Amino acid sequence: MPTMPSFEKMTRRSLLQRLGAGLGSVGLAGLLSEQKLLAETAPAGRAISPLAPKAPHFTPRAKHIIHLFMNGGPSQVDTFDPKPALSRYHGQRPPNSNLRTERGTSGLMKSPFRFRQHGQSGLEISEIFPRLAEHADKLCVLRSMVTNIPNHEPSLLMMTCGDTQPVRPSMGSWLLYGLGTENQNLPGFVVMCPGFPVVGPQLWSNSFLPGIFQGAHINNSNLDPRRVLQNLNNSFLGRNSQREQLDLMRRLNEIHLQQRGGSDNPLEARIQSMEMAFRMQFEAQEVFDLAGETQNTREMYGRSPFADACLVARRLVERGVRVVQVYTGGGQPWDDHGDIENHRNNARTVDQPVAALLTDLQRSGLLEDTLVLWGGEFGRTPTSEGAKGRDHNNHGFSVWLAGGGVKGGMAYGATDEFGFAAAENKMHVHDLHATLLHLMGINHERLTYRYSGRDFRLTDVSGNVNHAIIS
Amino acid sequence: MQRTAPIQGFWKLCAVLAVGWGWLNASGPTPASSQNDAAGIEFFEKNIRPVLVENCYKCHSNATKKHKGNLLLDSQAGMRKGGDGGAAVVPGQPDKSLLLRALRYGEDLRMPPAGKLSAKIIADFEKWIAQGAQDPREGDAVVTQEVDWNKARRFWSFQQPVKPELPIVQNVSWSKTPIDTFILAKMEEEKLQPVRSAGKRELIRRATFDLTGLPPTPEEVDAFLKDQSSDAFAKVIDRLLASPHYGERWGRYWLDVARYAEDQAHTFDVKLNTSAWRYRDWVINALNADMPFDRFVKLQLAADLIVKDDPERIKHLPALGFIGLGAQYYKNSDAAKAAADELDDRVDTVTRGFLGLTVSCARCHDHKFDPIPQQDYYSLAGVFGSCKLTNLPLAPVEQQNRFKEVQDKIKKLEGEVKNILRDERVQLGAQGDQVAQYLLAAWKFQVHKQQEPQAAVNDFAKANKLDAEILKRSLKFVQNPGPNLELFKKPSAPEIEVQALAEKLQQQFQGMPPLDGKALEKDKEALVQKLFLAEKAVFFVPDAQVRAKLIGEKKQRVEQLTEEAERLQKSDAAKPLPVAHALTEASPANMKVFLRGNPAKQGEEAPRRFLRILCCDTPPTFKQGSGRLELAEAIASRDNPLTARILVNRVWQNHFGRGLVGTPSNFGQLGDRPTHPELLDYLACQFMESGWSLKKLHREIMLSAVYHLSSEPAEQNFARDGDNRWLWHMNRRRLDIEAWRDAMLTVSGKLDRALGGPTLDLSASSNVRRTVYAKISRHDLNYLLRLFDFPDANITSERRNETTVPQQQLFVINSPFVIEQAKAFAARVQKETTDETARVQRAYQLAYGRAASPEELSLAMNFLSGRDDALEQSRNRLTRWERLAQIVLGSNEFLYID
Repeated sequence: MPTMPSFEKMTRRSLLQRLGAGLGSVGLAGLLSEQKLLAETAPAGRAISPLAPKAPHFTPRAKHIIHLFMNGGPSQVDTFDPKPALSRYHGQRPPNSNLRTERGTSGLMKSPFRFRQHGQSGLEISEIFPRLAEHADKLCVLRSMVTNIPNHEPSLLMMTCGDTQPVRPSMGSWLLYGLGTENQNLPGFVVMCPGFPVVGPQLWSNSFLPGIFQGAHINNSNLDPRRVLQNLNNSFLGRNSQREQLDLMRRLNEIHLQQRGGSDNPLEARIQSMEMAFRMQFEAQEVFDLAGETQNTREMYGRSPFADACLVARRLVERGVRVVQVYTGGGQPWDDHGDIENHRNNARTVDQPVAALLTDLQRSGLLEDTLVLWGGEFGRTPTSEGAKGRDHNNHGFSVWLAGGGVKGGMAYGATDEFGFAAAENKMHVHDLHATLLHLMGINHERLTYRYSGRDFRLTDVSGNVNHAIIS
Repeated sequence: MQRTAPIQGFWKLCAVLAVGWGWLNASGPTPASSQNDAAGIEFFEKNIRPVLVENCYKCHSNATKKHKGNLLLDSQAGMRKGGDGGAAVVPGQPDKSLLLRALRYGEDLRMPPAGKLSAKIIADFEKWIAQGAQDPREGDAVVTQEVDWNKARRFWSFQQPVKPELPIVQNVSWSKTPIDTFILAKMEEEKLQPVRSAGKRELIRRATFDLTGLPPTPEEVDAFLKDQSSDAFAKVIDRLLASPHYGERWGRYWLDVARYAEDQAHTFDVKLNTSAWRYRDWVINALNADMPFDRFVKLQLAADLIVKDDPERIKHLPALGFIGLGAQYYKNSDAAKAAADELDDRVDTVTRGFLGLTVSCARCHDHKFDPIPQQDYYSLAGVFGSCKLTNLPLAPVEQQNRFKEVQDKIKKLEGEVKNILRDERVQLGAQGDQVAQYLLAAWKFQVHKQQEPQAAVNDFAKANKLDAEILKRSLKFVQNPGPNLELFKKPSAPEIEVQALAEKLQQQFQGMPPLDGKALEKDKEALVQKLFLAEKAVFFVPDAQVRAKLIGEKKQRVEQLTEEAERLQKSDAAKPLPVAHALTEASPANMKVFLRGNPAKQGEEAPRRFLRILCCDTPPTFKQGSGRLELAEAIASRDNPLTARILVNRVWQNHFGRGLVGTPSNFGQLGDRPTHPELLDYLACQFMESGWSLKKLHREIMLSAVYHLSSEPAEQNFARDGDNRWLWHMNRRRLDIEAWRDAMLTVSGKLDRALGGPTLDLSASSNVRRTVYAKISRHDLNYLLRLFDFPDANITSERRNETTVPQQQLFVINSPFVIEQAKAFAARVQKETTDETARVQRAYQLAYGRAASPEELSLAMNFLSGRDDALEQSRNRLTRWERLAQIVLGSNEFLYID
């Protein structure tokens, strides 16, 4: 029976061997101090949960990440990277435009949307985000993002897992592995998407990390608290009757344990885990039950699957969940090859809920240690595909950050005159990951996992922390 | 800006630099390297060296043992040679010195990473380089060293295993077999005492789960208890090894290594491997037949080259699924990289799976820890690069021929029908004036588009009340109309002429005399095809509409032919042939080393041959086709020091919970060292001598005293060896998801023991087959499997993780599956006996293979006679017995095996 490695089963020595090299102080300091494992062996009843909170490498600026994933790839020149030159040269081929994208494109195409300056910072934002624009001074727009390949699948994987093939753990899984999560009655990494985005579950995969670090996918097309997580709802017994049943199970498990010397980490861990499952039924249902929110709050977010997900995201981080990822929708909603005018509809889907989320996080003080990331897997061409659409573009695109330790009201980096390719202060997705991890208190070069003969990390052999955007 | 190869950031940088500067390395001795004038040295010492020490040595020096990008900046030689990107410093040429480019924070190269240095410092470096880069520092520039093969081969796992002498032990009476002697010797060395032997109940439960993944029946337990003969346990082992459930259990272990799955992780352009289960069944059958392991290896790599004659050939072709079910990535905008990634999947799975070597680490550079040069990686990758994944028909050649014959016949019949329909189709397509109308409209749209570049076909069609699809196809046609029709292409042509041409065409086709299936002359035929007949012809009319127009003889003939085609289609010979997802030979070719793993930048050729460390300094190149068979033979060879060791270690791991080597797919420098090297070698030698028989290996291991040890703790031992590395007791092991789920089905009486066949969705409530037959997906792994530590099938897995989280217990307490089993289990015991006490005892016997203790019995009886909470009575949907059955199935005792 293949049973190793069991986190519970290890003695301190093997724990040091297994995790010490890999996790550095993240895993160690956390595991050892939180779990009082500095004694030679774990005291009875203190079995280690691999999801227990662990100390970061250094003081973090953020404790939670909410990743608002604009899957499909929003166009930078129609959202956060205004390019007046597109109007002047409308219809002409850009000079030196031998940049390859997925399909052929023709001349430059001006944005159908107007940009205006907002806030004290004067950050320019497209008219399709009227509500979000009110938060201009909180946003740190990264205008010089680049990724490797102008196709959805590899770029979705790069953005979520740091590699273009489906063979690496997702960032959320890495964060759970490195930091654990603060609420043991809830999953530590929650993904909300009505149905699946392109690629699908690999985008929140644990890959070679243990399975518990995988993101818990929730279909938010119609949030039913009893059904959001598999087997969460007990539909067979009343609460007291189930408690009575579990009391007997516990009693029998304790007899079993006593007969085996009275101290055994895996057996004890499972007894505890059964109790946690009992509590989780109620706590997890509660967090997904939006009925408890005020009418005002509900109206502020609006009523839609995406709005619900944003509100749930706030409720989750409030309760200590480490990572939340919300997709605009199933498939690839932002993939407007045919008509970029459709960005207006996509923006309408996200504008109000995202603005409400920022307001809400700010109001409750959560924004200080919650990092919000908004963006797609790549951007779109400033040139037209067909008559009105735009093709994929990996050479330059925009994402923005807000909250948890980043400067607000700023634009970092720049694309060329037409918004085709990043020109100043290029920032690769690896750099974004390194920076996000840094803000979470992790040195991306030290968060490693020994697998297949080498130490893997989210940023592979790349990634520079962008200190310029950190407040 | 040049499009740079979309490769990972780090080597993108290297690649860019290498393209620009790589030639410098080859350009001979660098100038001005030895003119050390005093002023230059002084300038260096004052302005350059301190900066290097402070800002660069941390990552680029011998002293810190770091050489990122293979660049050393702590010696003159290192600076001049440079790293992956080329020379860091070219004396006299600041602009060609990468170091300066990095300091200036150029587009693609920025150092030091912490921030740009001051303008003054950068100016100093520029001046220093311009003046000849005086540098007194000595030292070695070489980062990567040639492998010292003789030394490398002295590493433990590269030495041939030799059957060792048995060690001397004190406690001779404890030791039953040679295995015990090796284990005991270590225990005595470590001052540990073996605990007592397990009781017979524990033993048969352990052995039955170990070999079949199922619990023993109460009857089997009783029979064993009653059997007082000295070989009672040997008989149990033989019985279990002979069970077809043995292959289901141990086959699954191999499927973990083989990263077996039926699909791909991504979704674009994916062909599902719907016959993947044939590989799974082949593995199970091979193990049940105790196929010698060397043959097991060889068939998985080269069955098509080894077994040539039916029916054996058909039986063994599915073995090729080992590679044939491998990753097939989306061939996106960087197809070369995706293809290289696929080869990496093959190399990685083969080398870690069979050899316990992480050859994949040598994809971008020489292996940093093991003696595997980058060239060796490409020697193996080249073998798989010379093959292609394909579906091979699993049928005798005659049947394949018959299939082809009948398909040809059907095609011919359909062709004839098409010919009869063609005249009718042209007439229908050219009816009215639609040819003239659309071709003219398409031309007009071109004219319109010249004034309005953004004009859309759809809008134009709408405005002119035309069908947008036909207009789009017409547009395509007028853009490339063929000979004598060039006028359509010219928006500048007079409209009246274009109109005349369009009308001429119209008339020509409307009046075309019937051809009765004959083709026209070349140009005209092409035109008819383009306009009417081809699948995407401009005015294509679907079959049904054309047929409806037929009358008389033609109608009869078409009906007759169609009927005949349909009859053939339904015949046995036309039935799709079963296939194996396999690989076959493509054109054999050596690969070149991809520098930094970048397919766009290739270096020396890598002859297809075996790994040097496992052969010799210059292994013979593979001569037969891709070299697959020769590779297979090199792996499954008695001369290979790894293959047998790797396998016996995997088997040991699955019997004891931990291998003698704790890293079963890595026997290299970074892998664990064996706890019992002599025992490992003994087992490996014994295994090969026994004809690579797995069943003999199981038997030998399971008959040892160490396998019989109880799992009980012993305080003194625990203090010395809490990890139980020296095996003073048996590790208590948690059942994996397969065994746990199957055990529940067994106890509830619902298990369907049918063997083999297509897969079933695990979440289907009707699925009561063994878990090994469940659908395994790389894209969306079944929730239950993932939750209980089933490995990600995108990559080879050496062992299961073991985690305990509340979501797992939610499955125990709330899932329809467990509830279903609890109900069936309760019904079963209630049906089998009437007395309540006897029922509880029966439940314990079925689930745990033992009687309930008086305490357990009284707890159960109390529970059964309890009264429900008054408020909940009406909503509770489980009987007391069903609740108790759920407890029994959900308990620790059911999940953990002593």
